[in-house]
Amino acid sequence: MDKLPWVGVSVKRKEDERLLRGAGRFLDDLDDTVALHAAIGRCPYPHARIRGIDPGGALEMAGVEAVLLGRDVVARTEPTNVLRPFPGAATTAYYAMAHPVARYEGEPVVAVAARDRYEAEDALERIAIDWEPLPHVVDAEEALRSGSPLLFDQVPSNLLAASTVKAGDPDAAFRQAAAVVKGKLRINRVTGLPIETRGLLARYSDQTRTLEVWSSTQTPHLVRAQLAHVLRMAESDIRVIAPDVGGGFGIKMCVYPEDVVVCLLAIDIGRPVKWVEDRVEHFRGCTHAREAVHELELAGSADGTLTALRDRYVIDAGAYNSPFGPPMLTNLMLPGPYRLRDGEIERRVALTNKVPVGPYRGYGQPESNFVREVLLDRLARKLGQDPADLRRKNLLRPDELPFQNLTGATYDSGDYVRCLDLALSRVGYDEVRAGQAAWRREHRYVGVGVSCYAEFTGYPSSAFLGRTGAGFGAYESVTIRMDRAGRAAIYTGVSTFGQGMETTFAQVCASSLGLEPADITIYGGDSRGTPYSVGGFASRTMIAGAGAIATATGEIRAKMLRLAGHLLGVAPEHLEVAAGVVRRTDDPSVQLSIREVSEAAFLGHRLPPGDDPGLEATAYHDPPASAFGYGSVAARVEVDPRSGAFDLQRYVLVHDCGTQVNPMIVEGQIHGGIAQGLAAALFEELQYDRDTGQLVNGTLVDYFAPSAADLPRFELDHLETPAPATSLGVKGVGEGGTIGAAAAVANAIGDALAPFGVELDRLPITAESVWRALEAARSRPAAAVN
Amino acid sequence: MSSRHRIRVTVNGRAYERDVQGRRLLVDFLRHDLGLYGTHVGCEQGVCGACTVLLDGQVVKSCLMLAPQADGRTLTTVEGLAGRGELHPVQEAFREAHGLQCGYCTPGFLLSAVALADRGVVLEGKSLRAELAGNLCRCTGYQNIVEAVERYLRQTVGSRRG
Repeated sequence: MDKLPWVGVSVKRKEDERLLRGAGRFLDDLDDTVALHAAIGRCPYPHARIRGIDPGGALEMAGVEAVLLGRDVVARTEPTNVLRPFPGAATTAYYAMAHPVARYEGEPVVAVAARDRYEAEDALERIAIDWEPLPHVVDAEEALRSGSPLLFDQVPSNLLAASTVKAGDPDAAFRQAAAVVKGKLRINRVTGLPIETRGLLARYSDQTRTLEVWSSTQTPHLVRAQLAHVLRMAESDIRVIAPDVGGGFGIKMCVYPEDVVVCLLAIDIGRPVKWVEDRVEHFRGCTHAREAVHELELAGSADGTLTALRDRYVIDAGAYNSPFGPPMLTNLMLPGPYRLRDGEIERRVALTNKVPVGPYRGYGQPESNFVREVLLDRLARKLGQDPADLRRKNLLRPDELPFQNLTGATYDSGDYVRCLDLALSRVGYDEVRAGQAAWRREHRYVGVGVSCYAEFTGYPSSAFLGRTGAGFGAYESVTIRMDRAGRAAIYTGVSTFGQGMETTFAQVCASSLGLEPADITIYGGDSRGTPYSVGGFASRTMIAGAGAIATATGEIRAKMLRLAGHLLGVAPEHLEVAAGVVRRTDDPSVQLSIREVSEAAFLGHRLPPGDDPGLEATAYHDPPASAFGYGSVAARVEVDPRSGAFDLQRYVLVHDCGTQVNPMIVEGQIHGGIAQGLAAALFEELQYDRDTGQLVNGTLVDYFAPSAADLPRFELDHLETPAPATSLGVKGVGEGGTIGAAAAVANAIGDALAPFGVELDRLPITAESVWRALEAARSRPAAAVN
Repeated sequence: MSSRHRIRVTVNGRAYERDVQGRRLLVDFLRHDLGLYGTHVGCEQGVCGACTVLLDGQVVKSCLMLAPQADGRTLTTVEGLAGRGELHPVQEAFREAHGLQCGYCTPGFLLSAVALADRGVVLEGKSLRAELAGNLCRCTGYQNIVEAVERYLRQTVGSRRG
């Protein structure tokens, strides 16, 4: 079928009706009347040894069924395996409970199962633990210095991994540069903060020795594979089901320690056990993200050509290498959408006594965008050029694509310059430039800032992931099964966590089978009955999923044509599938309804020779290459230089995610990405106290997640350049909104305060940090101001 | 702590009489004792608003109340908006404006919006955003939620005046 009638249509979401009625079923809505409830005891210190533990008081309490200790967990399980290892990374055993040494505040050390959560938490308070606090370190640069406390004896200097990539001749480029800018830039530690916390309901059958696990996860099949490994069970003896998931953002991927603990309790007791993370636990139990310190240099020639970059950066990994670990894309996307061939990047990954980090929407891309784009503005100022002009000069042009950047990413398609120009025009860039001098005379400091990005979406291929040592592939898979009524069901391992997959999968499927999205039912997130799936992350669900749907529906369509041809006495090549019917291409009055064809397939009474009954197909799709989205952000601010307070007046994003299956859902994804980008840029930071090693703002009262009142209205526009390598030409869109936010606002503030020579070098950007930067600029000798 | 209380509440027009522990949170009572799972728990600190319900018509966060405090009172939860019939206008507005993604925070926003309509004011833009600050969402960036509530208030309050 050439035309896909439901692709590109803003179909209202299939998910919405149940969610709007309060009839969605999230993990904690699965009430099992015989289930016990678990509570988890956690280490109160950043680093400590358990000298002794006495659970006696808890076991005597009414309602308490079991207490699980760390030493039993270590004896009975394997450490959690790393699915996305850094090359050469040291091995650090990450067990589901710490024994005998705990390495961060919040690490699980004991668990109780009781009749209800209230009683389980009462029981935790009766467990006496004799702690020996050990020296700790919560700063990554400090952790790498000699003499710092070590987290693992086998990891010298707490250096988990180190690598250097070099391309071209950056040393020569820096020697010959007309201008060089340097900066030490700090990225804050944040977390994705889905409004639903994590949770698990585990049931174990003594008879069949099988485990059924309901989990609030983005990756049911990967959770099953990891649980099998950790619990030393066969994958076929474990079923993992994700119900409705209340937000993911990369946080709900893979196995967490608590998951293993709850499964062990269910196995031991022989009754279902449920655990739902509370929000205070969430801040200590779920992976954090993004914290890094970059020392970046850019070189440019007098005409504004960007000639080289050099970066030396440290990622703070926290106390363990979590399954997906620290971000991989910082290096890959550091060169950005620019014509840049010479560079050197040194990456060091440090262990600290903090919550382990993991993926969060963007996975390194917001970090590298911030440091590069902020320095690009400094380079422009040093060369006396307009920052937008400097970018326009260096952005890759359509005739230069595909282009392999200096870290190996191949940008596929698009018009980066046009995208920037659209953003500039939309935000009124020239008007701000024209008005700035007059406003400044009135002591009004208005500025406009831009940031440009190219975005890695999906994975190039399973073979690529294999070469990087990953524990999963790049594919996605579906089983599509028609029924006698001519409706279709899609079975997919991807779960529903807000991304609109039920609707977009239905649109692609309906388009190919002559149906309407309402005719399609999605059964997602259950490892039983779905083909092996990788899961919903890396903006890859539609990239890989659409390919699988196209292949499976192609097989079904071909069979419908054979079957209809047989029934109508027409050769299949003279037939086509159209809305609700199979018909003759040259005489549409000769037709059968899809319902009639389906009924014939399932009755099996009159089949063409060689065909079996039924209408269903299973397909896997492995994308042959990555798809690169891109975008430009333009922000306008007004700053009060007395207080540092600023008003984000305009926020424009122009992006290109290729073919849009559902423009309404795409726009929603972009909105959400921008909001999380701005949340990390302007509000949020997980702060650890250096002396006590405590997470000091790990509650929702203290961690400033923005509300509607804190964010501006976003203005969007888009280009649509189909990706050459993917089915339908789609590029991923889930993460793009996050990438450019911090740099655009930082650059707008820097522009507004240009008369003061302000340089912002840390996130989040708050009135206080702007005021401090102003104070620093005022105390600098004027000659040092670039 | 282990004290027990006999309480009578009316939820979504139906009367319930139950024994509860003194420390039972109202949200746990609604969810796990009455089976009304549409009211969600996000922080248990009164910040995120996922547990928002109406108590005698007023917006309250049901994680900050104990079940016995609701004795003799009337509650509305998301299940009470439309019952089993057609979607309530606020639900329809959220659907039309794509005002939800994962849907976890949605019931709280719906009830906050209904309470705004009951006050009889048509708000939009920044003034509406300020009124919605008691509910957090991590998926939508709020833009389509604001649009949905604007649409709903215009229709509902506007037509009442009209």
